[in-house]
Amino acid sequence: MAVYKRSYRAYSGPLTNPMWRFLVLQRYAMKGIFRSRFLLIGYVGCFFLPVLAICAIYLNQNAAILAQINSKPGFLKIDGNFFMVVLQAQGSLAGLLTAFVGPSLIAPDLTNGALPLYLSRPISRTEYILGKAMVLGSLIASITLIPTLLMFVVQSSVAGYSWFSNNLFLANGILWTNLLMMALFILLGLAMSAWVRWRIVAGAMVLGVFVAGKGFAAVINAAMRTDGGYYLDLQHLLSTVAGALLHHAAEDEPIPVTAAFIAIFAVCGLLLLLIDRKLRVCEAAG
Amino acid sequence: MTVPVIELEDLRVRIGKREILRGLNLELKGRTVGLLGPNGAGKSTLINTLLGFWKPTTGTARVLGHDVRTEARQIRSLIGYMPENDSFIANMPAITYVRMAAELSGLPEDAALERAHEVLFYVGLGEARYRKLGAYSLGMKQMAKLAQAIVHGPKLVILDEPTNGLDPQARLRMIKLICEMKALGEMSILICSHLLRDIEETCEEAVILKAGEIVHYSNLEEERASNRRFVEIETEGDDGSFADAVERLGCACAVTAPGKIKTVLTEGIEIRDLYRLAADRDVQLRRLNYRRDSLEDIFMKAMEK
Repeated sequence: MAVYKRSYRAYSGPLTNPMWRFLVLQRYAMKGIFRSRFLLIGYVGCFFLPVLAICAIYLNQNAAILAQINSKPGFLKIDGNFFMVVLQAQGSLAGLLTAFVGPSLIAPDLTNGALPLYLSRPISRTEYILGKAMVLGSLIASITLIPTLLMFVVQSSVAGYSWFSNNLFLANGILWTNLLMMALFILLGLAMSAWVRWRIVAGAMVLGVFVAGKGFAAVINAAMRTDGGYYLDLQHLLSTVAGALLHHAAEDEPIPVTAAFIAIFAVCGLLLLLIDRKLRVCEAAG
Repeated sequence: MTVPVIELEDLRVRIGKREILRGLNLELKGRTVGLLGPNGAGKSTLINTLLGFWKPTTGTARVLGHDVRTEARQIRSLIGYMPENDSFIANMPAITYVRMAAELSGLPEDAALERAHEVLFYVGLGEARYRKLGAYSLGMKQMAKLAQAIVHGPKLVILDEPTNGLDPQARLRMIKLICEMKALGEMSILICSHLLRDIEETCEEAVILKAGEIVHYSNLEEERASNRRFVEIETEGDDGSFADAVERLGCACAVTAPGKIKTVLTEGIEIRDLYRLAADRDVQLRRLNYRRDSLEDIFMKAMEK
């Protein structure tokens, strides 16, 4: 029978698994985000460097093709430095993506008073945050974690088992650096979206945290003749951790790796607290 | 034994330093319950507590037999909630909005889409279901909110000021829908409203809150039934024997003024017996009214407490 001829009836069919229901939020948010062509083009552009790097890694070991262009295998050294460069480039793009996507995740729900609507359903505040975090998480992972791990896999397959076994620490470094970076970007994006209603301002603030942090760090270091300012520079903290994990740490690294780890975790904790506090206030209706 | 829709036992809720709900005790079994009270009475806090947003400080609250403290998730899966304030995503078409609401309640994608179409037709938004919610009129937004509240087939629907801001026509449509939902018997309905007429027209039970306390509980159905037994009569040509004759039928009777009688009909005595009695005594019945305490009277009396 056509739907318009039906009256109201109770639903008695099967239900989805409550554990994965937060993914509904991610799916609908993704649909909304990719309605913007500008963002879609930008997102596709984020794959330019990884594709180029994977092609280079493949060519690097392909003697037959290199011979045709009068080049020798091994023109590119695939080591911690290589992955540091790729991670820095992709990390910058991930920051831009967070600045564009992040503000559209929670702010519209708060502006439209839609939070009671979500939370009056069998979905908790944690699942709501998780659903929104998955949006940024999947986007950032697709341009950072997945391509860099893919590069490692391609290099391992073309360079052989000995390279793989000698450089397994790189996979570990790629994984943990990306996870830390993702956590930081996701929480920063969500926190700005929760606290700043204007999208442009929230986006600018995501980028501003990195730029201002770097500026403050330089001022504090210069004025107080200390290295403590680096704890405000998120980019530096991430680089310190990545350098240590990828065995490419600077010799005169001003802050210990453990301290950098702790600082990043502390920032993540603070951001999580900010998000929770804002949502807790807004969840109750009326 | 039927499980009460809402059961409160010495429910106290404190927000910050202020105690908003002060020892509420209540058991509601009606299919439609009205929640009344002036601003700041604690109606929204009670709803938020039932939804699990606020935790009871002491006491318990149960919805359909589930404790709000420990079984908030189960409660939310059984409840449909229509908030008072605008609660939607402006750039989302109504069909997507209602479908998402259904999916969040656990319906699979295809079933959610089908149900979204159905309920939007049911609430009268069938033709406008692909329009964005931001472009809807206030009345349409209210209907869309109602649609998302009932899309997953809840056992209890909480409607917070459902007729707020509606024009008379839209209000009538909303009241008709609520009455239809009540008649279908698929769900219980809790209506929170300032408009006493809405509660009177739709509810079986009414609870009046004042300063965080229940000041009056009224079973409107029973009251309507009992009011039907209380009759006010004006007579002409009565020499005073008519009241005695009514009393001899076994009905309590009081003469308030010459020719004016108030009586309570006992079981087995009907209005036609009064007509017969009047005809036998050649008394004219000029006026015969059932007593009707309007909800407004009840509310005003409760507010004086």
